[in-house]
Amino acid sequence: MLGWEFPPLINGGLGIACLGLGRAMAQQVELSFILPKVDPAFLVDQLELIGLNHLDDRSIDRDRVEKSLVDIANVKWIEGEVASRLLPYQLEEIERAAGRGEISHLTAEKTKKTLAGEKVIDRLKAVGLDERLAMFREDTLYGEDVGERVWAYAQVAASLAEDMDFDIVHAHDWMTFVAGMEIKKRTGKPLVLHVHSLNYDRGGPDARGWIFDIEKNAMEVADLVIPVSRYTGTICTGHYGIDSAKVHFVHNGADPVETFRSDSPFKDGLVLFLGRLTGQKGPRFFLEIAAKVLEKHPGVYFVMAGTGEKMKELIEYGAFRDVGDRLHFTGFLNKEKVNKLLSMTDVYCMPSVSEPFGLSAIEAAQYGIPAVISKQSGVAEVMTHARSADFWDVNMMAEHIVELLTDPKAREEAIQYSLEDQKNCTWEAATERIIELYRDQLGIHN
Amino acid sequence: MMKSFLTRLSKVISAGSASKEKAATKTEVTEVAPVTAADKGAPKKEVDSPAPKKSTQSLAKPEAGIQPICIFFEAHQPNRLKPYSFFDIGNDPFYEDDETNQRLLDEACEKCYLPANKLMTQLIEEGRGSFRISLSVSGVLLEQLEINRPDVLESFQKLHATGGVEIVAETYYHSMNFHRSKKEFAEQVAKQMEKVKEVFGVKPKAFRHTACIYYNELAAYVEGLGFESMLGEAVGYVLDGREANHLYRSPNCKTIKAHLRNGILTDDIAFRFGNHAWPEHPLTAGKFAVWCRDNGGEMINLFMDYESIGMHQDQDTGIFDFFKAFPGAWEDLGGRFVTVSEAAQEFEVVGDYDCHEPTSWAHQEKDLSAWKGNAMQEEARRKILIIEELVKSKNDPELLHQWRKMQTAEHFYYMSTKEGEAGKVHDRLRPYPSPYDAYLYFMNALSDLQIRLENS
Repeated sequence: MLGWEFPPLINGGLGIACLGLGRAMAQQVELSFILPKVDPAFLVDQLELIGLNHLDDRSIDRDRVEKSLVDIANVKWIEGEVASRLLPYQLEEIERAAGRGEISHLTAEKTKKTLAGEKVIDRLKAVGLDERLAMFREDTLYGEDVGERVWAYAQVAASLAEDMDFDIVHAHDWMTFVAGMEIKKRTGKPLVLHVHSLNYDRGGPDARGWIFDIEKNAMEVADLVIPVSRYTGTICTGHYGIDSAKVHFVHNGADPVETFRSDSPFKDGLVLFLGRLTGQKGPRFFLEIAAKVLEKHPGVYFVMAGTGEKMKELIEYGAFRDVGDRLHFTGFLNKEKVNKLLSMTDVYCMPSVSEPFGLSAIEAAQYGIPAVISKQSGVAEVMTHARSADFWDVNMMAEHIVELLTDPKAREEAIQYSLEDQKNCTWEAATERIIELYRDQLGIHN
Repeated sequence: MMKSFLTRLSKVISAGSASKEKAATKTEVTEVAPVTAADKGAPKKEVDSPAPKKSTQSLAKPEAGIQPICIFFEAHQPNRLKPYSFFDIGNDPFYEDDETNQRLLDEACEKCYLPANKLMTQLIEEGRGSFRISLSVSGVLLEQLEINRPDVLESFQKLHATGGVEIVAETYYHSMNFHRSKKEFAEQVAKQMEKVKEVFGVKPKAFRHTACIYYNELAAYVEGLGFESMLGEAVGYVLDGREANHLYRSPNCKTIKAHLRNGILTDDIAFRFGNHAWPEHPLTAGKFAVWCRDNGGEMINLFMDYESIGMHQDQDTGIFDFFKAFPGAWEDLGGRFVTVSEAAQEFEVVGDYDCHEPTSWAHQEKDLSAWKGNAMQEEARRKILIIEELVKSKNDPELLHQWRKMQTAEHFYYMSTKEGEAGKVHDRLRPYPSPYDAYLYFMNALSDLQIRLENS
């Protein structure tokens, strides 16, 4: 497998999914993960982790690596502004770097031009292998030179793969798609693309650019595309025009967590939004929903946990809507604080505009919190009993929330259903399904 | 080294714009003050010379001639809120950042209050130009000094004991609530009067509202509270071409006199003094005295933050030396000083000051936009005040005090999203990274207060 984020160094949504899946699949198949960064102290049972930041003990055929630089994958390069496409990834990184963070890094937004395509390759040619590998020893995996990292990764990973014995190359998200295509080209092994998030989700339907091109190109080349939900599958086929015969969704799993409840000062209920404050997650709709609920139930409290480029705008809009003493912002929260927040929450609300999966809704369910989720999310397919509405249907969302807060019977029912639903969401089930797809689609048996 | 380079650089860069600025200043000055020599038999009254001990009543110099100067200082420090987070709601009933407040209070004491009190005491005792000042110290500052810096409180008391200081009244909490609750406003004024009586043993006759806010409705109400004078900003569109340097009266008032701040001359000291890019830099006492003399009218009102001395203009700018030299320079021109009430006694109003909208001494706009310019400020201001009845119904003095401290104007000032010159001032004074943080901390604390009110 080819991955980009991986715990414990990078704990974004992609990293968590890769760990969950990797851990479960390693029990069934022989599995190696090539990653830009690994923590050598972090071991997973049966799973081989290869980090480009710790290649010293591995032998690399340097000559071959140097020669292989040109002609990586057949992508039409467009140089453009990448910042907005990368923001979701990038921000999390900034947040992590900030540590406690809270709200103070509101100023951290930035838009920087990133070099892409041929220029990247030119620049890579200019530096030696060691310097390329050094990129992965830095703290960041994204940032303005993400393009260079992606190509350096592709080049080194492909060379490593040539010396390895494997049947399938399975790549997670666009950062590794280039490497996946290159490995397929060099080894002829089938390429599986696991789609956790698309440019469409991050940048909206009109977003184009070299990342979009990589995604589209790779999916066209791939033998099997595995989106994390039926919903995202429809984006692959509909928006990217990928042949539906090779697109087969597999829902993510969720690792069980230890949960607890703590006292909340909010007697009439606390409604939680958890995620980046960016267009994709629909924070503005959450604000509208809050205003709607507060019209008739002024004692309800709302909290927006997370940060993002929309934060200032949302704060001011909240003040304008006169909900500032009922809708609170926490800024970035670490895991411990998120858990604390979940333990106080009465209703989880996820009004995402486009959400490939939405693991946080399952986490909420594990905490016994009923959820109101948007229909434009993958998790709605798993949490079949959860209350849902179109992301723009503020009135319907508000009605659901009010019912869950004021009708104890409906609430209890919703909690039971969601506890049931989340039980079916396991990485073991996902693994089984993926092995099935390997067999049925690629004809490769375990 | 770097600093001096930058300073020189800024001089060079601003050389171009400097001449423009100069021209602007000049026109403004003439606008406000076409030099009218001796106004209708202006101030006379013989009297006294060297040390005007215990003589707030006694009036100045015999050599009639030029208008007296009335200097007023406002001393105030807010109780800044701590980064009160969402998770504190319901758990932490203490909202203030004691450490920061203590640190900034100490800084103000060392840089301004102590040395400035010393200097003012000295100047009053020297008596050049019958030097005297008017002073207001907010209740919240008096309280902070009492608890943390009794030495500084004592130095204020000593300064007052020279007899050359008139204490001016304001709202105890340095708040802006008149628009919503006259009752609350009156209670805070009464509380300040009580505090002033306790600390200084006097009953002020003049009133100044936070940031020199002035408008007809407020003036009439203040008159009803028994005050004889009220301070305000000389706002061009209200004066409509008339000079600032006279006493005026709102048309709906009968007795109270409006003392209008000469913004241009005041800001030469309080705002521009240390600015190397200003073509008039460095400002000497002699030069400024001539400007004042040539500014005409019956009096020159210089109203400013006390913190202008040593903080807004730090010691390195030479602000202390300026003040030290100024009374002498003014006396040499035949000038003298008066306090607010002395001016009110000596002069009559010359016309209506029909000010419908709230005006203040802030920024270029001279309005309330520094405190109510955006949605966050509007919401916070409104929501802290609408719980008045509920707070008062609890009969809990501690709670009442805490609620009132949240009315202090700075909380809203920190939420300002203004940019440009004014924005820079906001940024400098704000103890948080951004106006959004200021708003969030305030609203989190407000939610806690609301929940406590509900539960008690």
